[in-house]
Amino acid sequence: MNRSIRRAVTPIMGTLLSLGAATTAVAETNLSSEQVGLLASACANCHGTDGRRSGSVPTIAGRPAAVLESRLLAFKHEETSDTTIMDRIAKGFTDEELVALAGHFAAIDPEAEGDSPADQEPQE
Amino acid sequence: MTQHFKGTGISRRQMVKGLGAATLLPLVGGISPFAIGGQHAGKVVVVGGGFGGATAAKYLKRANPAIEVVLVEPAETFYTCPFSNLHLGGLRSMDSIAHGYDELQDRYGVRVIHATAEDIDAAAHTVKLSTGSELEYDRLVLSPGIDIRWNVLEGYDEDAAEKAPHAWKAGSQTEKLRAQLEAMEDGGTFVMVAPDNPFRCPPGPYERASLVANYLAQYKPKSKVLILDAKDNFSKQGLFMEGWERLYGDRIEWVGLSDDGRVTRVDADRLEVETEFGTVHQADVLNVIPPQKAGWIAERAGVTDDSGWVPVKPETFESQQAEDIYVIGDATVAAPMPKSGFCANAQAKVVAVAIAASLESRPAPAAHWTNTCYSLVGPEYGISVAGVYRVKDGVIAEVEGSGGVSPMDAPDTTRALEAEYAVGWYNAICQDTWGTQT
Repeated sequence: MNRSIRRAVTPIMGTLLSLGAATTAVAETNLSSEQVGLLASACANCHGTDGRRSGSVPTIAGRPAAVLESRLLAFKHEETSDTTIMDRIAKGFTDEELVALAGHFAAIDPEAEGDSPADQEPQE
Repeated sequence: MTQHFKGTGISRRQMVKGLGAATLLPLVGGISPFAIGGQHAGKVVVVGGGFGGATAAKYLKRANPAIEVVLVEPAETFYTCPFSNLHLGGLRSMDSIAHGYDELQDRYGVRVIHATAEDIDAAAHTVKLSTGSELEYDRLVLSPGIDIRWNVLEGYDEDAAEKAPHAWKAGSQTEKLRAQLEAMEDGGTFVMVAPDNPFRCPPGPYERASLVANYLAQYKPKSKVLILDAKDNFSKQGLFMEGWERLYGDRIEWVGLSDDGRVTRVDADRLEVETEFGTVHQADVLNVIPPQKAGWIAERAGVTDDSGWVPVKPETFESQQAEDIYVIGDATVAAPMPKSGFCANAQAKVVAVAIAASLESRPAPAAHWTNTCYSLVGPEYGISVAGVYRVKDGVIAEVEGSGGVSPMDAPDTTRALEAEYAVGWYNAICQDTWGTQT
């Protein structure tokens, strides 16, 4: 239950790492996968279960971790004009949580029929 | 689990607490009763199939598929209060706000029983159904929504609600009010009686007034909306009033508490209401949103307090008054979280992991909730409020610096985007809760 979350190391390096993030840039967070799963479940209310919905609200499942991470951190820390609500929501999470959430959704196959992120994560 | 300890007079939880999980194992033949995929992960009964209950059932199964989950909900089709105002305004069919339980049964293996939970014995851990059968549980989730406090407004009882609908539970009440609005002659007044806090969906009355005004502007342009309010402030007030002025001019009149807005008597036969200081208002269509309380099964379970609502332990939403009963949604005292479908869904997810953890006798992950609440001032004019919450010093608190409402004086493009996102939100949360595909 305590699998670490795969993620890019820093948001600055995010774009460079986006392709290799899944295999090379792995770092630990102190959050359990259950904790991250609980945090992530809140996103489903607008992005669909496991972030798989598409439509006016963008799909977040399967997007590169570095992209999600830099977006989430920008929503929280920067003045972004291209959001209506994510700036207000991201400020309710710690940076570590946002990074973990980016890794969580990046690991989900947006097309798969599976019910939970665990279905797509490699078995250890 | 219950069957293993029948007749011992102590609950499984007490045994776990008293003996420790390790010493418990030999009692059941050396096989961990909590093993994933095993037979004895625990039995959870969920009462209520709305945003809270349906989500709890689904996320319990996602947390541990071995947990036996039974959902008790009388209706085979659930109509959501969110977006029912769009039906009222002629912008959506009832079918488009209807949801069923197929995904919960077919995909997640939840046993759905269409019956009414009539009584709960918290000590015996049983739920009595209208079918006459009785369900045992290890953990119970109550998501009973609201009930109306009849006769608190003098003259407003169940008969009166047939003539002056509340439409605060979606379904036939919504259709009744819609039919009255359609039948109203041009030049009429739609009078809404709005309640004091706390009540289900704080911005709901004002979205309703907006979408009724939108309908009237198009089809009955000489008609008006009058809101008589029992309070002086309401959710997203500045944004609503800005939008009303912009879209509807003076078509919507709001009278707050300080201006004698509090209605104390309703005459549903004459479509009249009287305020605290004796002003009588005549309606052509009368919508009374009355004072509310937790759904009555919460009272039967002994989890409500003098306020009529349910106090819960913030971290887990377990009742403060009855062990192994978790309560979510509008029925709870969860301020600063509002009574919204979004919050019920968010609370359900926290409860699901808390119960899954408690069945394995380990601590629950830290609670965290988000709320986003869109309101449509017009079909292409959306506004929102968001909040993120954690437990701080033993109480639920909004995370400092997070949340808040849409900006004032925003351009039309922002309002249009938020209207689009409102629809996106509705479709997503209904997919997440009932599996409805749109």
